Formats: sequence, C-alpha cells, structure tokens
Amino acid sequence: MKIKDPSPDMKKRSFLKNVLNGTVAGCLYLVYPMGADSFEIPEQIPGIRNKPYDIYDQEFAFVVDITRCIGCGSCCVADKREFNVPDGNYRTWVERYVKGFSDRIYVDCPNGGLDGYQSPRTDIKEKIRDTFFVPKLCNMCREAPCVQVCPVGATFTSPDGFVLVDDKRCVGCAYCIQACPYSARFINPETRVVEKCTWCYNRVRKGLLPACVQVCPTGARKFGSLKDENSEVYKILKGPGVLTVLKKEMGTWPALYYKGARREVV
Amino acid sequence: MGLSYKVRLILVCIGIFVMVVLGFFFKTLLIPDSFGVYGPFRADAIDEIVEIPIRHGTNDSCFKCHPYEAKIHKAGLHKTISCEFCHGTYADHVADGKKTGVLPVKTGEQITTLCLRCHNTEIKARSEKVIKTVAMPDHLRDQHVKLSHNCSQCHNVHAPLKYINRAKQITGLMEKGQ
Repeated sequence: MKIKDPSPDMKKRSFLKNVLNGTVAGCLYLVYPMGADSFEIPEQIPGIRNKPYDIYDQEFAFVVDITRCIGCGSCCVADKREFNVPDGNYRTWVERYVKGFSDRIYVDCPNGGLDGYQSPRTDIKEKIRDTFFVPKLCNMCREAPCVQVCPVGATFTSPDGFVLVDDKRCVGCAYCIQACPYSARFINPETRVVEKCTWCYNRVRKGLLPACVQVCPTGARKFGSLKDENSEVYKILKGPGVLTVLKKEMGTWPALYYKGARREVV
Repeated sequence: MGLSYKVRLILVCIGIFVMVVLGFFFKTLLIPDSFGVYGPFRADAIDEIVEIPIRHGTNDSCFKCHPYEAKIHKAGLHKTISCEFCHGTYADHVADGKKTGVLPVKTGEQITTLCLRCHNTEIKARSEKVIKTVAMPDHLRDQHVKLSHNCSQCHNVHAPLKYINRAKQITGLMEKGQ
C-alpha cells in the first residue's frame, strides 16, 4: 500500500521531530565548549588560516631591530612560558653589549635576560661609548650546519624554510649543538633530546605571530611572510635600510636579519 | 665436500635471496613511514610540531572578558604591552572556554621592580624615541613625593598618564581632550 497523501498526523510528527532536533542541536551548540584554540584569536599573519597550506610555496623572515630593543626581556619570558623551557636553557635570549672607548666589547647576559636588566654594569673601568641589547634566537639558516651533521635525520629543514627538530628521532648526540654557530640549541634535561627555537612553528601554521614577536612592546622583533607584499618584513627587506646577518662568513645564509646592528655584534 | 657445482650455485643464490628479503624486511622495520616525503627526515614530525598547543593569546583574547581593563589599556601609552607579560599566559587562565586559574597581579614593590625593568635610565641603552626612562630615586625627588612611594601610586600601570592627565585637567594645567 502506498500513502500518497500523508495524513495530518504524519506532518505533525515530522514537524515535532524537526523541532526537537533543532532544540537539541541548538542547546549543544551553546553548551559545547568552543575551546581555547587558535580560532578565538584573530589571524595575525594573513593568508594562512582557512587555506590549504602549500608547504613548497612559503618564505618567512624575521627582523630584529636593535635600535628599538630596550632589553625588557618580555620575549624571553614569553618564550619560556610558551614552551615550558627548563631553567638554565634558553630558546631565545637578550644579550647586553657594552662598548668602551678603547673599542673593547663587554657582553653579558644574566639569566638569558629573563629577569630583565635592572642595573648597569659596574665592573667596567673605562668610559663607556655605547650600550645596546641584542636579542638572539635561531637564525633559520638556509644552509644549516646543524642539519648537515645530524646522523639520524632528526634535524631537518622543512620545505617552508624552518629548521626543526624531530623529538622522536633525536638520539641526543649533541653534534648539532657543536655545529650551530649561534649556540641556539640545547639538550632538554627532562626529555634528553635537542630543543631549539622554532620561530613558534606551531603558532605560525595557525596564522599567529611567534610568541616573542607577539609580546614585544616596542616592535623590535618583526616576523612575516615574504610572499605577502603588504607585510612589514617584506617592506623592510625590500627597502633601502641596512640589514645584516650574524656570522655571514660562515655561509649559513640566515633568514634572521638584524637592523641597526653594529659590526661588533656576533 | 660432495656437493656438485650446480647445488652450490643454487645454495649461493638462495643465500643472496634470503639476505635481500631480510634486508628489505629490516629496512621497512627501521625506516618510519613518512621518511623521505620532503627529504631525508620524517615528514610526520612537521605535523607533530604543528600540533603543539599554543599558550599565548593576544591582548584581544584577554579584552573579550575584561572590558574595563581593555578600555584603560587601549587608551594608554602602554597599549603595546602584552597582558600576558605581567599576568601570565592565556593557557594558564582559560581552557576550553572556561576559567581554570587565577593569574597573579603585581602589587607594591613588585610593581616598581617591574617598571624599572624597562624605564631605568641607568642602563643607558634605551633610546628616548622608543621609551621614556627615569632615574630612581631622582624622579621621586623631582616630583616632590616620598622616596618610599611606589610607581603605581601616581601612575596607573595600564595607562601611565591616566591620573596625571586627569589631575592636570582638574587643576586647569591641561585642556580636556588634549
């Protein structure tokens, strides 16, 4: 038997079903926790979120403006909190350079700059010509020495230019620590594998700025995509300002540029 | 030995075959699946690093639930300072859209230490274009206040000139909206 004309009773039933379903779905939508994930935070690097990520067609750069760094150590604190870096190890740190009139350079970095710089140096006898802060982090070399020496393929350059560490593959031999000219690596005493600054790769892939760039109050740290012609980093790199890289003679071709760095900075 | 040339040849061939099979078996056992997709490394490691949860939000994520602080903070000179630098990370405070912990608030002497972390002239490395610095306790003497004063007694930590501008407006030293 075929029902051609549904009785009013059937209509009512389907209507009630729909109403019930809608109510339950609506309640669930309101009650279900939305989660403290990246989607609550507005996108900071345009063109990454809600798009297929072409890993071969990406280029990022980091610019540190030394003339704007005040040595507050926000970046160090943020970095330590973001990755729970154990005490005594630093993924990023801020060094203080003091230049005397005899051209002698005094560098210090108490606790990696985590506590900030509360007092001037008192142990320098000569007259001081210049003082400045130099934030340091992984240089993300295009020709990374750490990648070349890794015997197990745990350190690698991803196709989008980030030098990363595979913590499941790393055996903790520390060859890369010796190979890194910038001392950006350390062995995590808890996990016994090598750790380093990743330019917050997990944040960048979610369209967010690295934690240190995010908290920098003076804009001394800048990060962005070179594929985006409106990004601040693209404009700086395209512009006429002098940019330097650390230890150029090592041939590592860093993607980390320093603006306003004196030639004494190494 | 009584084995003929042919038997020995077959034995050698079988030996080579067994070794090749064993070699392939151990190779698949030892090399991870995604090894070599992008290069001589495990491609899945990239995804694993992406999956690391983020702990810092932005100031906007804090302002969503703290509109009073947001209004003061955004209007002041300290608008570029991250909330999380003084108060701790977003992840320690909120999880799954719910409040999970109380973040610390700096008080008394802690505030002075915090202020001087950036605003200390003594360091001589801070450009006046970037930050206004003061020398302590000269600043307290110049302003004719007790040397035991904390910074927060005159300066609102979120908007340092909030009270000062207001006082100037009241005393007529400054026009409103200036």
